[in-house]
Amino acid sequence: MKRTNQLNRREFLAAAGAAVSVPYLIPSGVMATPSRGGANERLTMAHIGVGGMGGYHLSDMIERRDRGEVNIAAVCDVDEKRLANAVKTAGPGVDAYRDYRYILERKDIDAVVISTPDHWHGVQMVHSAECDKHVYVEKPACCTIEEGKAMVAAAKKNKVSVQVGSQGRSQPEAYLAHRYLVNGNIGHISRVDCFHYPSPEDNNPVPDSDPPPELDWDLWLGPLRWRPYNRRYCHGTFRWLLESGGGQIRDRGAHVMSCAMWWMGADGTGPVTIEATGTPPKQGLWDSAVLMEVTYIFKNPDWMLTWTQMPNEKLPPAEERTGEEPGGKIVRPGYGAIYRGDKGEFIHWGGDGGTWAEKKAREWEPPAGAKDVYKSPGHKEDWFEGIKTGKKTIMNIEAAVGVANLCILGNLSYILGRKLEWDQAKQEIVGDEQARRMMSRPQRHPYHL
Amino acid sequence: MSMNNSKKVSLAATIVAASAETTEAFKSDRVQKLISKIRDDSAEVRTEAWLSASEAGAEAVKPLAEVMTEKKLEVARAAKRAIWKIVRHAGRPGADNEKRAVVGELVELLGDEQPVPVRREVLWMLSEIGTRRSIKPIAALLSNKELREDARMVLQRIPSKGALAALKAGLEAAPEDFKLNIAQSLRQRGEKVSGYPCVKLVPTKKTTVKPL
Repeated sequence: MKRTNQLNRREFLAAAGAAVSVPYLIPSGVMATPSRGGANERLTMAHIGVGGMGGYHLSDMIERRDRGEVNIAAVCDVDEKRLANAVKTAGPGVDAYRDYRYILERKDIDAVVISTPDHWHGVQMVHSAECDKHVYVEKPACCTIEEGKAMVAAAKKNKVSVQVGSQGRSQPEAYLAHRYLVNGNIGHISRVDCFHYPSPEDNNPVPDSDPPPELDWDLWLGPLRWRPYNRRYCHGTFRWLLESGGGQIRDRGAHVMSCAMWWMGADGTGPVTIEATGTPPKQGLWDSAVLMEVTYIFKNPDWMLTWTQMPNEKLPPAEERTGEEPGGKIVRPGYGAIYRGDKGEFIHWGGDGGTWAEKKAREWEPPAGAKDVYKSPGHKEDWFEGIKTGKKTIMNIEAAVGVANLCILGNLSYILGRKLEWDQAKQEIVGDEQARRMMSRPQRHPYHL
Repeated sequence: MSMNNSKKVSLAATIVAASAETTEAFKSDRVQKLISKIRDDSAEVRTEAWLSASEAGAEAVKPLAEVMTEKKLEVARAAKRAIWKIVRHAGRPGADNEKRAVVGELVELLGDEQPVPVRREVLWMLSEIGTRRSIKPIAALLSNKELREDARMVLQRIPSKGALAALKAGLEAAPEDFKLNIAQSLRQRGEKVSGYPCVKLVPTKKTTVKPL
């Protein structure tokens, strides 16, 4: 086992910056087993998927390793070029794999960071949990309703800590927004309108072709039905295909709607109806909606959530800032949400690694007796704390699947062209046989749940 | 029957026949217009066409499948999207007759005379709306090396006893290299399968990248 330079529990928690202002309720049976992974030991990590966000996570983890907080044992990618780069970046002592299952076989690895395309998240998270690994998995949690159910079940059964990469919840201004809203500053909130710029259209469609030699196309596709390689459907661009990334609603919806569910205290709840319309791309392989409007109706308590991909000129203007604010200047003003209460409105921009709250929330001074909310020490720190103590993470798998389900159901309603009814308790679509079949998608052998 | 009544019946029959002919002609005209727009050079026209394809219904499925094989990439894609549109519309609650008609057309596209990409797409369409009638032709593809994996997944998705029975029979008949796949489908459907263990966690693919 690669466990050197051991930290004791106190040192680990200090290193992880694990200050918790107000604990929130943790339902029994969903906690990771406390101290798994070794409360007094440095965690040994492996990274599955090292391009894009995976590259960011690896660099971030290398910094933590260099500070003596973790070990990095292995990196994995189906693209040999990306893998070779990751090996170079991570340095000596880090093993390389194409097939993530070699990592899962290793008993010395405590936790994995999964940053693969979305269609792999469910399968790899479940397999990792089944092999007793704690998991940080990029958002969105899943591509189908059934994947989400399997993920929740696997985390619970194997008692592993899971953090999903909707890191907006852990941003400093997310805390300020949350605190501002729960203290009734805009009154009772009955509606949240999420806004986003359009999904892109493929303006350079190309025919299918052979995959590049460095890419294991079979393994890249993994659970998806087989299809020939296409240059417009691979790293990064998978986001714009419904079967994988699902478009902006699943990519950024997993951030913006994550904030909404968290701040509205709606984790664990779900809509009763979902109705979507949209405009498809006019050409190319990408098929996610360019413009889109989705309405989610929640009952008991009653509120409405909407998701709108709109032309850029219709987006609300971003707030002027000096850069001295907790979140700095707004660098991604093209998405966020407007919270509508009976005493006023509140807007935030972003919702991911950049989450920017309107000035009135940032400047609000809580009076004596005001409610406080959980302040994340950082998204990874919160995960480490979950591993060490068994506490539920801020973007735990139940919450993340709940948010992903919103995105999935929105896309399903768009694809089917009709309103859907959802039974939150049973986690299923009601009264629509075709939609019910689409809650799951059979996966290719052997890349299945 | 009096003479008058007899005349009335005859007249009614003529009207019904004429009306049916008119309806058929109207449908045929609608399909031709759809196909023409799907083949249009303008992306806007093609998009508008496939978005409205659900109105053309089952009659448009085979003509569109033909267009799916055309060399013009975007035309073929528009045709495929048009069929999907028809499938998604026909699968709506309360449209059983429409669904049956579409399924009937799709099933006829599973034959060897169709190219593999068309049959693969049709299989997945049937995974969403396939009925009892579609099980046998789908199951027949379990012995087709290029399509058997899709056929297996599609049978797994269709929630009928017939689909399950087809998978069980498929396991018996399958060559050794495909039994594990079908066994997995049966497990997903809640069946106990012995002799063909799940291999999902067994790594198989090695990298050439060496650690530093």
